Amino acid sequence: MIAPPPIEVRQLRKVFRQTASGEPVVAIDRLDLDIAPREVVAIVGQTGCGKSTLFDLMIGLERPTAGSIRIGGKTPYGDFDHFRGQIATVFQQDRLLPWRSALDNVKLPLELIRLSDDEQHKRSLFWLERLGLANFARAYPHELSGGMRQRVAIARAFVVQPNILLADEAFGHLDEVTAAELRETFLSLARECGSTAILITHQLEEAIGVGDRIIVLGRAARLLADIDVARWEKREFAILREAIQATLQNNAQDLRLMRA
Amino acid sequence: MHPEEYREAGLDGRFSRQAVLSVLIFAALWEALSYLAPALGIPAFAIPSFARIGRSLLTITPIDVLVTLARVIGALILSFVLGVALAVLMYQSQRLENYLRPMIRLFMAVPVVSWILFAVLWFRGVEFRIAFVLIAVCGPVFLIDAFDAMRNVPRELRRMVRSFRPTALQYFGKLMFPAIVPNLITSWKINLSLAIRVVTIAELVGAVTGIGHQLAVAQELFSVADVFAWTLVLVALLFLLEAVVARVERRVLRWRA
Repeated sequence: MIAPPPIEVRQLRKVFRQTASGEPVVAIDRLDLDIAPREVVAIVGQTGCGKSTLFDLMIGLERPTAGSIRIGGKTPYGDFDHFRGQIATVFQQDRLLPWRSALDNVKLPLELIRLSDDEQHKRSLFWLERLGLANFARAYPHELSGGMRQRVAIARAFVVQPNILLADEAFGHLDEVTAAELRETFLSLARECGSTAILITHQLEEAIGVGDRIIVLGRAARLLADIDVARWEKREFAILREAIQATLQNNAQDLRLMRA
Repeated sequence: MHPEEYREAGLDGRFSRQAVLSVLIFAALWEALSYLAPALGIPAFAIPSFARIGRSLLTITPIDVLVTLARVIGALILSFVLGVALAVLMYQSQRLENYLRPMIRLFMAVPVVSWILFAVLWFRGVEFRIAFVLIAVCGPVFLIDAFDAMRNVPRELRRMVRSFRPTALQYFGKLMFPAIVPNLITSWKINLSLAIRVVTIAELVGAVTGIGHQLAVAQELFSVADVFAWTLVLVALLFLLEAVVARVERRVLRWRA
């Protein structure tokens, strides 16, 4: 498989206007970031720090106010169509279309890239099987449990074999056991497919457990820490957790937690 | 509207035992009155017996029923296509919405009789007049229902589909239209009864065919039995159409819990 393109974030700024008052709100403030191909990155930060805005900017649903995001030299907002079938997402809620069966929900991205019906069916069924839902292919979302629905959403993301996978708090709403299981499945599949995976979360345990790298964002999405997890022994994870927590509380950059 | 609400409102094409009973009670009262009418000083023709109405039913001309049916269905399909197409355009352009919304509100406030008079004054062809009136009355209902339904499609679903980068056509085909189907079916139900009533009035005024025209003839002949018979046909027609829509609804919305 060809390596996914690198992601470059340069002086990224996003300002929203409040609907009622018209006052500007800075969601992201001059963020610089590089994500290498096939890296598994956890982006962590407190609620309201701009993580989800960064997610929207990365998938091209929002336009940056200033600065840029480039994926292999192209911008996800400006070159929107270029990334069809290349970027896939898993959201906080499963966001399945209620009128489609599990199988048809998985087919959706393939329909959009206009694959043949046969190929759509084969690939969708394959991914449902990988996620352990072959027996539920014809079930409608309301007939599935929360965990099963999220599995369908994961299958829907992988079915296009994307270069870049983004998950926005994708496991936070599930019980601990299901969340851990799905997280594990998601990561092993991402590694198997050779995709770059970006997980946005507010849970430190999740961030430490999954990422090759943890990016800690402060309020107005400033870079507070950029941690190379491989440099930490498993037994040091508790210390790392505390260090991240302190960084978030101080909302100030911690140079000890910056990658070389 | 949820299927349960339809059932409660009696709009799902099925009849409860109470509904059948109430119709039977009404029929019995009517029949009794038809016998007692002369004794009460009411002319016999004013409340005809069911035997007399039955004879009138035998004289119903199917071609008039078919003509009315064709006018209703044809105009509804046209109204639907126009209404939904305009709703899509309005959804895509805030500016267009700002211009069109007040105009549609104005259209919806105009009484049916005024539309009929405008049609008679503006146009010559009978079919064109009837189609114009039906589209003017039913089109805005489809438009507003479709537009509001599109705006109410959950933001989460819209963002999910957009994240997969559909073309505009795919966006509407895969998300918007399937999402608004329940609302469109409700609009069809509302417009069916509206269209049956409007077409009858329109035919009453200017047509030389159709149920409305036959009602006008019955009125000229002072034949309450004929009016009753044609009215029964109209009601049966409406129930039949509603049953068809209910069947389509059950099939299309089988995914609902």
